[in-house]
Amino acid sequence: MEAKEVFERFSERESFLVIGRSIRRFDALDKALGRAKFTADYVERDALVVKVVRSSLPHALIKSINIDEALKIPGVVAVLTARDIPGENQIGYALPDQPLLNDVKVHYVGDPIALVCAENEEAAFKGVEAVEVEYEELQAVYTIDEALSEDAPRIHGGEDNIAVTTRVRKGDIEEGFSKAEAIVEDIYETPYQEHMYIEPEAAYAIPEGHNKVTVIGTMQSPFLVREKIAGILGWSLNQVRVIQALTGGAFGGKDDMGPLVCAKAALAAVKLRRPAALIFDRDESAAYSVKRYPARIRYRSGADAEGRMTAAEVDITVDCGAYANRAPFWLWRMTAHAAGPYEVEAVHVDGKAVYTNKVFGGSFRGFGDVAMHFAVESQMDMLAEKLGLDPLEFRLKNVLRPGSRTTTNQLLDHSVGMEECLRGVAEASDWWNRRRRVKRTEGKLRGLGVACAHHGISTSRGAPDWSAASLILNEDGTFTYRTGICELGQGSQFGHAKIVAEILGAPLESIRVEGPDTDSTPNARPTHGSRGLMLGGSAAADAALRLRSRMVKVAAEMLGCDEGDVELRDGRAYDRRRPENSVSFRELAREMYIRGVSPAAYGFYAPPRRYFDPETGLGVAYPVYTFAATVAEVEVDPETGEVKVVEVWPSMDVGRAIDPLLIEGQIHGAIAQGLGFALTENLIVEEGRVLNPNFKDYVIPSSMDMPRVSNVIIVEKPYRHSAFGAKGVGEPAIISIVSAIANAVYHATGIRFRTLPITAERLYRALRGEKP
Amino acid sequence: MLRFKLNGEWIECEAEHNETLLDLLREKLGIKSVKRGCNVGECGACTVLLDGRPVNSCLLLAPLVEGRSVETLEGLRDKPIMRELIEAFVEDGAIQCGFCTPGMLISAYSLLSRNPKPSEEEVRRAIAGNLCRCTGYVNIVKAILDASERLRSED
Repeated sequence: MEAKEVFERFSERESFLVIGRSIRRFDALDKALGRAKFTADYVERDALVVKVVRSSLPHALIKSINIDEALKIPGVVAVLTARDIPGENQIGYALPDQPLLNDVKVHYVGDPIALVCAENEEAAFKGVEAVEVEYEELQAVYTIDEALSEDAPRIHGGEDNIAVTTRVRKGDIEEGFSKAEAIVEDIYETPYQEHMYIEPEAAYAIPEGHNKVTVIGTMQSPFLVREKIAGILGWSLNQVRVIQALTGGAFGGKDDMGPLVCAKAALAAVKLRRPAALIFDRDESAAYSVKRYPARIRYRSGADAEGRMTAAEVDITVDCGAYANRAPFWLWRMTAHAAGPYEVEAVHVDGKAVYTNKVFGGSFRGFGDVAMHFAVESQMDMLAEKLGLDPLEFRLKNVLRPGSRTTTNQLLDHSVGMEECLRGVAEASDWWNRRRRVKRTEGKLRGLGVACAHHGISTSRGAPDWSAASLILNEDGTFTYRTGICELGQGSQFGHAKIVAEILGAPLESIRVEGPDTDSTPNARPTHGSRGLMLGGSAAADAALRLRSRMVKVAAEMLGCDEGDVELRDGRAYDRRRPENSVSFRELAREMYIRGVSPAAYGFYAPPRRYFDPETGLGVAYPVYTFAATVAEVEVDPETGEVKVVEVWPSMDVGRAIDPLLIEGQIHGAIAQGLGFALTENLIVEEGRVLNPNFKDYVIPSSMDMPRVSNVIIVEKPYRHSAFGAKGVGEPAIISIVSAIANAVYHATGIRFRTLPITAERLYRALRGEKP
Repeated sequence: MLRFKLNGEWIECEAEHNETLLDLLREKLGIKSVKRGCNVGECGACTVLLDGRPVNSCLLLAPLVEGRSVETLEGLRDKPIMRELIEAFVEDGAIQCGFCTPGMLISAYSLLSRNPKPSEEEVRRAIAGNLCRCTGYVNIVKAILDASERLRSED
């Protein structure tokens, strides 16, 4: 059975039991009562405290590591280095360029060298101070241009500092530009963004008898964590048990950090045969954990006299930092989305990701599409202006519609709600009137901006993707549902439960969700790429359908009716023709166990295959895209340069809304993160050192900074190959808000910023004639 | 020996001179609703009530609470104002990852205890020291206003 069948059998229902309604999520109460357990809450008092000895230089050879003085400190139990790693000292994600502990060379300030394991935190800190590392300093590379220069030192050997390249060749670019009435070209730069989840990275490892270890941690990919730990220990997968604790915000960062942190704790626990906890301090998290990859985009695009896009030529450079990590996937996503959510006949894209001696980039909500759309949406505004068109009208002429082809020439035959999203926010914000009306009020400058977004769901580069789940009907008629999809705050697991409840006619409260534990939960693959609900939920649907057919069969025999007449509803099976004739799920379950009919089901789901031609980049880049549009109104204080976002109108084509309140939550949170990225979040890195790794100097939005957020406009263009037609919603909203704010700032001030964030200081100077 | 009132009951325990209240509560007394987000008084996840006022427990040295009253979510969750806040937070989608939630609830509780009818601006101000990275605060502000309304209609 496939998700397609769920779509066909259930999506045409006139009304749903739980799908589409906002229902209070079942994990909220424990969180509100302070009972929810995060990783640090599991740590017993006798656990070893693990602290990381980190490189103080951005690029250097390690001559020696002396741990003798550290070992003399009372309370220090051991100092572990690369030589203590029994397996392979390698934890790179896409490329094998990243040791867990460095003993040959360090590549950025903060690169891990050793682990001090101590009885208490104070001893651990003293131990870290006492480890002596002798270096031979190497020339360091801090910028894209330095990294690409002829005489730059090769950070990871090889011929140059390029980790990976991409390209797309669609249509005749010369012809495209020759048809253009207006052409604009510019260079856009986007900086690091730090996740600043309120819960820092944490892992707690417990040795379990003979050659087994349990690791509890904050993460997004429990099975990836298991694989990496097994590799470090030289063990098989079934010797490592990984449990995802409730995770206090992740946003992509803990997908990458989970393995790095958990493997260190596991190494300490296994080597020293004692429980060991590694919990990052805030400054450690902010300075040395992965960040949104910085990127530079040169963008040239043109449109004809009717306002139709004709060509886009895009050159992308991603700054990897010290390790490639997710860069191949990040760069591919940027490349495949380079034309934006618009139909452009001719598109040429060249991309490369380069190493520098700075903290390495990694996954972050929007995954490359934030930077890409910042360039696209700035270009769209500039082209509209050059053609004398309203920017929203101009977009409407070009948006992807059913039948359109994307950057990679992928045909979109259905589930394309870009136009409806854009029209939705235009109407809600009263765009055409408001755009004329907004101007100077009490000395402040007001502006209105719009931006669109599209975001492919699931993994990039055609990497295989699938998901699994299991469901058991217990003897009392309740259900135990297991998924490897993580609860990070987004509530995906609750969405799965609703899908199961809808298919089985089971009361929501009769379904208990057990989250990731690699010893018992099926591998649902990572909770990233906005795939948790679409892929994880489709596996849930598959499991529910399998169990349902068995329940219906036994129920039909118990009720003496045809299977086709059995209706499952409110925890009972009814004979539809004689509704007074019914059995409870408890009775049904008992009967199934007695008759030897399996009460358990394993659900599996794989989306349609993706593929691309490496020469041209053309092909099916993603199974489906989520679309979003945002209008933002800003107020600029010309005396201070401060931008205040006054109101935001968001919309999204979600396929099918499983739970509107969960969707609203994702969009609200993305608006806050996007607002921070656009205006205030400014990570200062000088000579490879992060200078502001704290909440005081790296400013994320507080309750005082949030605009009025208008009702979220939910557009439903169901996807045929997922349960109930749902698409991912976690990421797209951050993509459109950033550009909408930048475009609104332009409308208010006439100043176009090609780099972010638009801080008060930068805008103040720009208003006084300095180059923005 | 340190003596103070924890969630309404006098307790005695050992505390180092340089130990923070957060460490004392979490590590020695097992009060786990109090979260460590930054340890330097910037995120608000460790907010507790000290003599009824919200403070960052990571900034307060434990010996300074001698003879005073410290309240955490464990002790507040059955109070009428907190019950209404919890209900509203759950109902309104004010909770995502939940890590900032206990501190957020305590700041909200402190506000509604002093000011039963706050404006939206006052609500925003009251939680300005409690950072949340998930919700954008929209539904948190809504929940606090909803709770205040429900508390008033119950009177």
